[in-house]
Amino acid sequence: MNVFIRKNLLRLIILIVLAGLFVAAAAGMESQDFLITLLRGLSVGSLTFLVASGFSLIFGLLDVLNLAHGTLFMIGAYIGWTVYVRSDTFMDLLTPLALILSGFLLRDVWSLLSTRLPAAGRMKRILPWAGILVSGLILFSVLRNYPIAIWDVGDYAQSPVSISYLASQGQNVQPPPATFETISPLMAFAGLIAGSLLLAFSLSLFGAGKQAEASRITWRSFTGFAAFLLAGIIFFIFNNLFTAFLAGLNTNWLFLIAVLVAVGSGAGLGALMETTLIRPLYIRPIYQLMLTLGLSAIGIEMVRAVWGRPEFTMPRPELFAGTGEGCPATSLAGWWQYHCSTMMLMDGRIRVFNEIFIPIIGVVVLVAVWILLQRSRLGMIIRAGVQDREMVEALGINVRRVFTQVFALGVGLAALGGVLAAPSIGLSNMMGESFLLNALIALAIGGLTSYPGAALGSLLVGLLQQFIIKYGQIGIAIPFTEIVFKPSPPIVPASIILLMVVVLLILPNGLLGKKE
Amino acid sequence: MAKDTLFSTLKQNQGMLFTLLVFILLPFVVGLFNGASPAQVWLNESGHSKFIQGLAIEIFILALYALSYDLIFGFTGLLSFGHSMFFAVGAYLTGILLKSFGFSLAATFGMLFLAGIVQALLFGMVLPRVKGITFALVTLGMASVFHVLVISTELGEYTGSDVGLQGVVVPAFISPASERLRLYFVTLTILILVFLLYKRFVNSPTGRVCTAIRENEGRALMLGYNTFFFKLAALMLSSLTAALAGGLHTIYQPIVSPNVAGLGYTVTALLIILIGGVGTLNGALVGAVVFRLLDYGLRRYIGESASFINGAIYVAIVLFLPYGIVGTWKLKSMNLRQGWDRLLGMLNTASKEK
Amino acid sequence: MDYLLDVQDIHTFIGQYHILQGVDVRVPKGSITALLGRNGAGKTTTLKSILGLTPPRQGRVIFEDRAIQGMHSFDIASLGIGFVPEHRAIFRDLSVEENLKIAERKKDDYVRKRDFIFSLFPDLKRLISLSGTNLSGGQQQMLAIARALVADNRLLLIDEPSEGLAPVLIEQLMKAILQLSAESTVVLVEQNFLVASQLAEYYVIIEEGRSVKEGKMKDLINDKDTIHRYLGAA
Repeated sequence: MNVFIRKNLLRLIILIVLAGLFVAAAAGMESQDFLITLLRGLSVGSLTFLVASGFSLIFGLLDVLNLAHGTLFMIGAYIGWTVYVRSDTFMDLLTPLALILSGFLLRDVWSLLSTRLPAAGRMKRILPWAGILVSGLILFSVLRNYPIAIWDVGDYAQSPVSISYLASQGQNVQPPPATFETISPLMAFAGLIAGSLLLAFSLSLFGAGKQAEASRITWRSFTGFAAFLLAGIIFFIFNNLFTAFLAGLNTNWLFLIAVLVAVGSGAGLGALMETTLIRPLYIRPIYQLMLTLGLSAIGIEMVRAVWGRPEFTMPRPELFAGTGEGCPATSLAGWWQYHCSTMMLMDGRIRVFNEIFIPIIGVVVLVAVWILLQRSRLGMIIRAGVQDREMVEALGINVRRVFTQVFALGVGLAALGGVLAAPSIGLSNMMGESFLLNALIALAIGGLTSYPGAALGSLLVGLLQQFIIKYGQIGIAIPFTEIVFKPSPPIVPASIILLMVVVLLILPNGLLGKKE
Repeated sequence: MAKDTLFSTLKQNQGMLFTLLVFILLPFVVGLFNGASPAQVWLNESGHSKFIQGLAIEIFILALYALSYDLIFGFTGLLSFGHSMFFAVGAYLTGILLKSFGFSLAATFGMLFLAGIVQALLFGMVLPRVKGITFALVTLGMASVFHVLVISTELGEYTGSDVGLQGVVVPAFISPASERLRLYFVTLTILILVFLLYKRFVNSPTGRVCTAIRENEGRALMLGYNTFFFKLAALMLSSLTAALAGGLHTIYQPIVSPNVAGLGYTVTALLIILIGGVGTLNGALVGAVVFRLLDYGLRRYIGESASFINGAIYVAIVLFLPYGIVGTWKLKSMNLRQGWDRLLGMLNTASKEK
Repeated sequence: MDYLLDVQDIHTFIGQYHILQGVDVRVPKGSITALLGRNGAGKTTTLKSILGLTPPRQGRVIFEDRAIQGMHSFDIASLGIGFVPEHRAIFRDLSVEENLKIAERKKDDYVRKRDFIFSLFPDLKRLISLSGTNLSGGQQQMLAIARALVADNRLLLIDEPSEGLAPVLIEQLMKAILQLSAESTVVLVEQNFLVASQLAEYYVIIEEGRSVKEGKMKDLINDKDTIHRYLGAA
């Protein structure tokens, strides 16, 4: 015990000082103010944690500083919004997406074909690029004419802002479904499948020659392809049925679907990013910074092009949206009965979704990922790989696959944060950047590659921010003087950065980080 | 003999000299294309040439800034996320001293020098404690504090808070409005002098130790070098250069935006040297030219979604020009030269056999 | 003769440096073969090149009649090659048991091999729940070797097992290595010639990135000239 104290003296002193500050901050305000501030801090902390934990897992195992993480957080929010508010658009998108992806599931066939390809020399180098070009043209020309019922950024009445506003008023009017006009469905299908097959084959040509021997083709190689094709066709035929079903669904379930879709697409995007763009750059770490920065810029621009620049909100699910009779609720039971958006707790008015639901999800994710890390084989490999990747590989473990999985997991967590943040703080193009900065600071405070550190750092960042904001309203009475100091808004980000600098100067590896 | 060595140095640096010549003639040639005689350009009358001069001045300033970042990141291996502070302190100090305190230009640049040293010492203070990515985060923290100071309303009287610093009266003899050509040549001269100084520094024993620190700090330590002082020296030179670039920025620009103090401006420096090639002095220059022209061209011809294309181009550069433009060029030219040598060798042996 | 592993004239670069400039190693089935040579001669790089951790640019590596050069490291290892690296590379954040379990290639490898491993290294049994940080050097070395035994490996590559260990421990370790060589073939890199000469049946001497001499260990022991020339005074 003594040894433990001596070894961690600085750490303990910092934690005690922070706890003291926390108590002092609590003593300085009314109890209901304190409660609200505490819950808001927990809420911001949870969202920060969802970004930070994924970032830290990726950095720890892959040594990649994924500066696009904030952008992926934002994309998660926008995807969630689309599913939740415009389920018709979402259904329309499913068919082409399934068809485009289907070709990539014939991986075994492609690897066999690419080894048997007779072309040599220059032809071999041109072929993949030509294939990508042709398939790109095919996909582009089909998708341009493919009917998708979508909002219109240029027309204010049809823009996401108006649609969100109407939806929050309970008027989720969906426009008539789009129909095929310029091309026939059959042609569109054929084009999409052909484009997908060609694209997948061309991309597989880049990696040809790396495998020792091509795997054999069995009927299994075709199941994924067939399943996606079938799914695409089913989504197409029953499009209206599904759309009507989703539109009629209780918003709680719809929100759950939105969350799942956002997390799933986040994980998919992450896996795609890792396998195609990040993988060639493991030997050139600095260039990953530039790559992820560039991807972040691209992502923000794409979101701007599709969803527009203005900020808008996402209506809360019905469970958290009640305002009528019995609201604000006075107890959890009352909330459950009337589905109130707010409830009274110690005379303070609390928004249930923001200040209770989000922290709960934060804790659930914290525990779930902790269990994954400590109990599963994947977690064991991650913990080992953070320390020594080469040795893990030398044990015969396919580290690349684990890299992809971890990247997908990290981005999926960020997307979860995004879709949870959407109903609480709204959607904007820059929401990702501020959370990424928060997360970076939280990780620096807690320890860059430490999972508990990510949680502690996020908590500190969230609490400190919210307390400073609150004190910006009520002011800090400086003892023995008449002065009431009111922190101005720019001090909020500065305060957490200051905390980070102080912690790093005393403990260069963060509060819970290990020595290198 | 002396003539020969002169000739050979000229020949070795022909690329540099050619570039120099291009930049000296640029304002006049652009003027000619628009029907303005060199005399008119000389008198600052040609509008288009003036515009190009302005763009070139921006590029020179960016190049200075990128050079200063390349010195600490590319050569010494210190990843700093707070580099924009060096630049912003220079820019704001120049503006405030000229505007609010009525300093002369010489005195202002004297203060810049002091500020540069103080900043380097500030960063140097944390050097022994934090390494690698932690150093980057701590420097980010320091720069952010400065950024907050700049945009805070309390100091708005001096800094113009989030609107930016404006209304700086620049001494008439280098005013960007009336004497732009002179300013053009002044910045060009400063850039050349700094570039030569850097070249000297990088090839000096001190510079070599800095490179050794980048490659393997432990080994440099073991060889008996106190790496701290070498890193501090690089920081010092870098911070002075960046402050100088900031000062020139204030002289040229009508408004100093608080963005130059933000993280984004450090990223700009990083992008420039990544485009040009990390750890090559020429790379910082080439990168600045490419970066500014790309940004200008895209904003002019594409408009709103320029940063989408910009981002795509960066990704493409990362994937296809792995060592930056200059770095990749060097590798290629090395291959070319080896090829030439082999060819010449074969010819030689062939002729001998005859 | 029947060779389990046949390394033919491999050349390996690390960065720009041409580390291996033609190394041949032949390892007969069921034997212990020692790679000898001075510090920095390229012994460790040879092991890593076999495993594809530093892939050779030229030459062939044949394992069980199959060319394995250019394959991914994890594929090579999965063919049945275990690796005990220099400095042990125990996973500090994992417990001893997890350190063993992570090496499983089939389900329950660990459960099947547990008894064999604990019969070789009885110490590990009582340390099973400790974390990797809290082991002594000798215990770490035993764990590193045990980890390579969990999966069904027909070839073990062991790098510097005796480095930094007390003589008593070295003896214990040698006994264990001899015992396990009954089950699988071993390639051993060893600085300590005394240890190597007692364990190995065959030897290969590597000098400045080239294999210069090979043969039977019992011939080498009497060849003072060769020992002096390649291995320094011994």
